[in-house]
Amino acid sequence: MKYLEHINQLIKIKVSEADNLVIFGQNVSAGSCLSGLTRNLKVKENSMIINTPNCENTLCGIGFGLMLNKVSSIFFMKQQDFLLLGIDHLVNTYNFIRRENPSASFTIMFIVVDQGYQGLQSSLNNLGDFCSIARIPGFAITNKVDADEIIGAHLISPGFRMIGISQRLFNEELSDLPLIHCNEDKTLFQYFEGKDATIVCFNLSFSYGLELHQQLKDKNLNASLFSVNAVTPIKWEEIIRDVKQTKKIVVIDDSKSMNLSCDNFLAHTLDECELKSKIIIKRELLEDWLWPNSDKLNLDYAEIINKLKQTTHQNEP
Amino acid sequence: MIIIPHLKNLKRDMGGYNLGTNMDSHINTPAFSLFNVEYNLLIAEELLRLRLSQMIINEKIKNKEFKIPIHLALGHEAIAFSVEASMEPADQLVLPHRNLHYNLAREKSLKPIVEEFLLKETGLAKSQLGSMNLANKEKGIVYTSSILGNNLSVATGLALGKKVRKENGIVLVVLGDGAMEEGSLYENLVFLRSNQLPSLVIIENNQWSLATKIEERRCGIDLKKFADSLGIKFEKLVGNDPYQYFSRLKELKEYSMSNNLPVCIEVELATLGYWHVNTEGYAPPGRFINYHAGAAPTVNLLEWPLIEESTDDPLFVLKKYFDENQLRKISAKVLLSLQEELL
Repeated sequence: MKYLEHINQLIKIKVSEADNLVIFGQNVSAGSCLSGLTRNLKVKENSMIINTPNCENTLCGIGFGLMLNKVSSIFFMKQQDFLLLGIDHLVNTYNFIRRENPSASFTIMFIVVDQGYQGLQSSLNNLGDFCSIARIPGFAITNKVDADEIIGAHLISPGFRMIGISQRLFNEELSDLPLIHCNEDKTLFQYFEGKDATIVCFNLSFSYGLELHQQLKDKNLNASLFSVNAVTPIKWEEIIRDVKQTKKIVVIDDSKSMNLSCDNFLAHTLDECELKSKIIIKRELLEDWLWPNSDKLNLDYAEIINKLKQTTHQNEP
Repeated sequence: MIIIPHLKNLKRDMGGYNLGTNMDSHINTPAFSLFNVEYNLLIAEELLRLRLSQMIINEKIKNKEFKIPIHLALGHEAIAFSVEASMEPADQLVLPHRNLHYNLAREKSLKPIVEEFLLKETGLAKSQLGSMNLANKEKGIVYTSSILGNNLSVATGLALGKKVRKENGIVLVVLGDGAMEEGSLYENLVFLRSNQLPSLVIIENNQWSLATKIEERRCGIDLKKFADSLGIKFEKLVGNDPYQYFSRLKELKEYSMSNNLPVCIEVELATLGYWHVNTEGYAPPGRFINYHAGAAPTVNLLEWPLIEESTDDPLFVLKKYFDENQLRKISAKVLLSLQEELL
């Protein structure tokens, strides 16, 4: 099953079971239903689905107003950058409401335009930027496992959060992955454990890390693979413990932001771990970074593997 | 304070009163005659309490007792009383940064508000909200925003929540003429109308935003035409008559709830406490400055707290109905009561 189809299936199940739920947003039950994200949603009789006018600021406030009246809701949004119009509510309204630990749920679920061809809008591809403005819980969905865990735990649950999905991954076929570790908040996932390197992926860059892991395996190198799915404060112990074993780290962050989630992690890790190899893959913003073009990271996997192999061989007796 | 519970009791006793259902003919009806004498006096007393409470706070601002910004609403007492009096237990009120008059009207007490402004734990919101976000869930003030236009969409969400949960009551949201310039008003009226959500959108138009008059910052906005274009009933309240405002608001609430439609209400008023700037550097010297925030330097606490000899001042309007000496006696009693409360 493809990435977007799987997420749609999970949402369908979740919303069909909820009471007094309001699903709203532009075209949520019309046209392409946000490229299929909200296709064929069915809710109970005591719930409703509203195809709204184009009024993102108001829609953000409505979600919080519903929350105050103990009604849960999900605002589906076609693009993350549309949320810029509602940013006031993410700070001022949320800060008012969060004081009392509301019992209702409000989730804003949007598509991160990380594919690149939207041009100017594509410069905003970092979920963490929105999260950091008011320390808002936020989750990036990058594969089948984290989709199951994050939607299962957070789509409808007391409080407010944002969930971002990747436009670039819409048509990617999902494969089954092992899950070695997932923290309680569903913000940190470990998929593989290996002694030769630690790969840590941020924002929506998990697919690059998975590809690197496979290619290392083809060369008889076993790497641990982590994905950090949120920018909210995370305890890094799980990863740091692993890095202390492997002493080699590959960090991948596909965000274009100045405020990278991986920097916080690196500050902790570099302080606590003695490293033999450190490969940090961040976006290099060239002259064309605002132009419509592919946002896909062009990783030189062979070179990364070579670097890791060199330090691996240095370790050998 | 024991005055206002009496007012509430009287309200309940008035269950059989017909406040008028012919909405078109009501506008010119002297609503005063709809109520009994005792009740009319209590309304006057309540307006005086709202005014004197603010004047006491104003003195404290002058004395620099507060660290937080405070926006007085001297001159807004008639609409505050009327909104409060028209609310039923299931109703919800959503306020803007200038909210003191509504909080005083709903809380019925000055001390918890003063203590909130002093950031004491005994304050109305346990010192968590200060002035510009001051809400009071127990009294139906469920959300207050310091951001222009922000509160409208939260009110819309509250109204939608009532619809989903099939709850009684209506949402009343207050904004000023500054917020009316924000796109939020347009977005929310469209949403409220599209989704048939009963609500009263009350715009306090004092003609000023910070230190600029409407004509200094924008073209005119014909709210009636705007509301008409969306199929939304519009009403303009003018004259600061609490008796008229109260009965009219009750009717508009009934209309909104029975038709599942929002109503847009513009209230023409003046925020009293203005002054003329004579400081060198301000141009032109002597420029009229409408009160916005902080102390109203030209207003002083007096036993008889009338500020303006015009209908801009709701207390002046009371003189239409009562002998001034009678009002002065009530005022002295209210002031004493407030001072005792703060001891």
